[in-house]
Amino acid sequence: MSAIPQQLHLRTDYNLTLAALGAETPAPAKIMALKQISSNKCFNGFQKVFEHDSVELKCKMKFGIYLPPKAESGKCAVLYWLSGLTCTEQNFITKAGFHQAAAEHGLIIVAPDTSPRGCNIEGEDESWDFGTGAGFYVDATEEPWKTNYRTYSYIKDELPKLINANFPTDPERMSIFGHSMGGHGALILALKNPGKYKSVSAFAPICNPIQCPWGKKAFGGYLGSDLSKWEAYDATHLVKSYPDSHLDILIDQGKDDQFLSAGQLLPDNFIAACTEQKIPVVFRLQQGYDHSYFFIATFVNDHIRHHAKYLNA
Amino acid sequence: MQNEPTCELNSKEEAADIYCSTCKTPIRAFDKLFGNHKDHEVTELTNAAEIAKEEVHKNMCKLEEQIGQMENVASHLEEIFITVEENFGRQEQNFEMRCNDVMQTLAQRYEEKLQDLGEEKKLKLEALYGQLVSCGKDLDTCKDLMETIQELCMENKKVDFIKAAVALVDRLEKFLKKDLDLELSTLPDFEDRAIDFSDMEQLMDSINTVPDDSIECYQLYYKQVSDDTPSEEQAELMTKVKETYHTVTHLVPNTQYEFWVSALNASGISPASERAVYVTAPSPPIIKSQESQSCENAALICWESGNINPVESYTVELSKVTNGENGDVITESIVGIPNCEALIQLQPRHSYLISVRAVNMGGSSERSEPVSIHTTGTYFYLNEDSAHPLLSVLEDGFTIACSEIENPECDLPSRDNSFTRCIAILGSMIPFQGKHYWEVEVEEDMEYRVGVAYENTHRQGYLGANNSSWCLRHIVTPSRHKYEFLHSGTTPDIRITVPPKRIGILLDYDNWKLSFFNLDIAQHLYTFNSHFQHYVHPCFALERPGFMRIHNGIAAPTSIALS
Repeated sequence: MSAIPQQLHLRTDYNLTLAALGAETPAPAKIMALKQISSNKCFNGFQKVFEHDSVELKCKMKFGIYLPPKAESGKCAVLYWLSGLTCTEQNFITKAGFHQAAAEHGLIIVAPDTSPRGCNIEGEDESWDFGTGAGFYVDATEEPWKTNYRTYSYIKDELPKLINANFPTDPERMSIFGHSMGGHGALILALKNPGKYKSVSAFAPICNPIQCPWGKKAFGGYLGSDLSKWEAYDATHLVKSYPDSHLDILIDQGKDDQFLSAGQLLPDNFIAACTEQKIPVVFRLQQGYDHSYFFIATFVNDHIRHHAKYLNA
Repeated sequence: MQNEPTCELNSKEEAADIYCSTCKTPIRAFDKLFGNHKDHEVTELTNAAEIAKEEVHKNMCKLEEQIGQMENVASHLEEIFITVEENFGRQEQNFEMRCNDVMQTLAQRYEEKLQDLGEEKKLKLEALYGQLVSCGKDLDTCKDLMETIQELCMENKKVDFIKAAVALVDRLEKFLKKDLDLELSTLPDFEDRAIDFSDMEQLMDSINTVPDDSIECYQLYYKQVSDDTPSEEQAELMTKVKETYHTVTHLVPNTQYEFWVSALNASGISPASERAVYVTAPSPPIIKSQESQSCENAALICWESGNINPVESYTVELSKVTNGENGDVITESIVGIPNCEALIQLQPRHSYLISVRAVNMGGSSERSEPVSIHTTGTYFYLNEDSAHPLLSVLEDGFTIACSEIENPECDLPSRDNSFTRCIAILGSMIPFQGKHYWEVEVEEDMEYRVGVAYENTHRQGYLGANNSSWCLRHIVTPSRHKYEFLHSGTTPDIRITVPPKRIGILLDYDNWKLSFFNLDIAQHLYTFNSHFQHYVHPCFALERPGFMRIHNGIAAPTSIALS
């Protein structure tokens, strides 16, 4: 068996490259794209967890995927969920209670992990708001993070390709939402890629990271001190240069969210920018709700309905 | 999980799932895409089923009509059958009677005449006999004289001769002086006796006519009868009629009348017949088309009776209009409606002509003027009665305007039903289940409230400030547009970045939701989840001088209908 060429490590489709190289017997460990970790039937669909070798993050990554009943007989639109600080692929699929709505609207829900795991980078486990479980959906440029901490590109390119190649999806119909850091991720991915996502929504997003403690810490660590690099990952900033592409943003924010009062989230800045730019947003300040998954579970159906309107149109 | 590009074509069933209108047969969708039916017209199976159902129903209705007509004819024939028997019986009796009369009279006359003849004969014979006897006597005398003369002539003795001769001549002179009635006293001919048939002729003629042939004409009387005015006060009308039937016109609708007849001939007038009472059919009702309402699935029609006195019931008739035709073909009738309004189930996206008839004992009225209903969406009108004095409805009936507001609570004249503080107006109630949709158009700087309210919402209150109204409220502050979704005086905290100029309002009675949308960007703004206890009215209010234009009777855009 010939040695597997270096090309395999590039950001290209495994199978295509192999075909080009004329390899006969693919090595199972690298080429088998997905390994199913778990599968549970739920609302007549299946909540599964898979693991794969990520090219961007250069480690094994897990993701949750809910396949609604409709997926057995036809292609479905895909809704990506980005979780917040300290979460894994488990939190959303076990706590959010979204399955019934997803089944009803026939949407595939993909919930990836929030950072690369097991890379043994020094300092990655020091804080809960930086490093492990805190990828911040950027492509890091600073050492020692830049090799593995490429969660922006992972979510933007690698993961959709993988999902589309292995599941009955309609690649043209994709939307994104998330919570807190994941809300930030959803907003910036949508704003940086006009037309890629049919809709976007968020729960208690970090709207203006360059102005809040979390953002300053993360961007400082991943991107260095060049502010222009930071702005490229800041939703409030990105809105100002967003071309007029139709985007309908729904944001729910708990009024009793400790991080709101701590100035980590800064939704007012984002709203002001959207008002100025005439980007349609409905922002709901929900009385009595906090930052937890209880808050997410309360309103997740509204968000799924919001996305279904555009994905199933 | 495998992902075959052709998986959608590998259906396991062979069952038809679509309908080919060209071949008029159910087919598989596969065949439409790849098979013989490629160029044919197709439609959903449910659609085709609906159409087929309609066809059957139409034909069934025609059949029902025919059955009704034939039953009618059958019962008429029966009636005529019975009447023929009756008439025969009467004629027969009549002939018998007349003929008997004639026969009797004839016999009578015969006897009389015969008797007369007999009498005449007797007289004649007696006269003749008398004359004969007298003649005989004279003859004897003559003969006697003759013998005497002869004897005389034979007498030789002259003296005796002269004596006898003188006596004889004396006798002869006496005899010859006597007037010999040589005239025949009786002619053999009898009197000409014709039987007097003059009255017989009358009798004979009467065989051929019904007893009342002798009637000159009839007098038909009629008079209105009503419960309020005593019958003496009503005018009695009369017409002379030759036939035994007459059509009386120009009667008052929905009124009771008494009719009676007298017969008239040369001798005078007969007593009056028994009185017959009939009720005239009512006048047609008048549909209040301005106040008629509809939605996609139903219509509420109101009308005025059209009659001063009450009628028994009303009948509503519908025609489904297709391509502008068939307006005369009644597709459905609803009978026995007690009040002057009807809620009618209809099919979406059709046009109908609806008319009403009033019904009483005398029958049903003419059809009213129809009202045209289009089930394109929910339609309501603005209830000007409820408008705040400063709020006016423009001519199109769907634009509201407010002029300068100095003091909305000033002492302007207001009606019982109108808002006194909130410059608001209610639309008519939406009394149909299901979803209803309408739109408003506003300027960006307009301040307004738009939503729904119960009929009894406080006219002294503000829309949304109580628990009988729900609304979206927009006001403009120096820093931003502010949106409130008010009910019971509270609102969630919602920020909206793009101020809507066209707002879609979706009322869902089935799921107890009231939703608002920015139509220009198909953005959902907010949904009230409220268990509406009663039917609601759309409501609108202006908080600043300006206009609001309302659009209804339209279908919700697909993106909103799916929400």
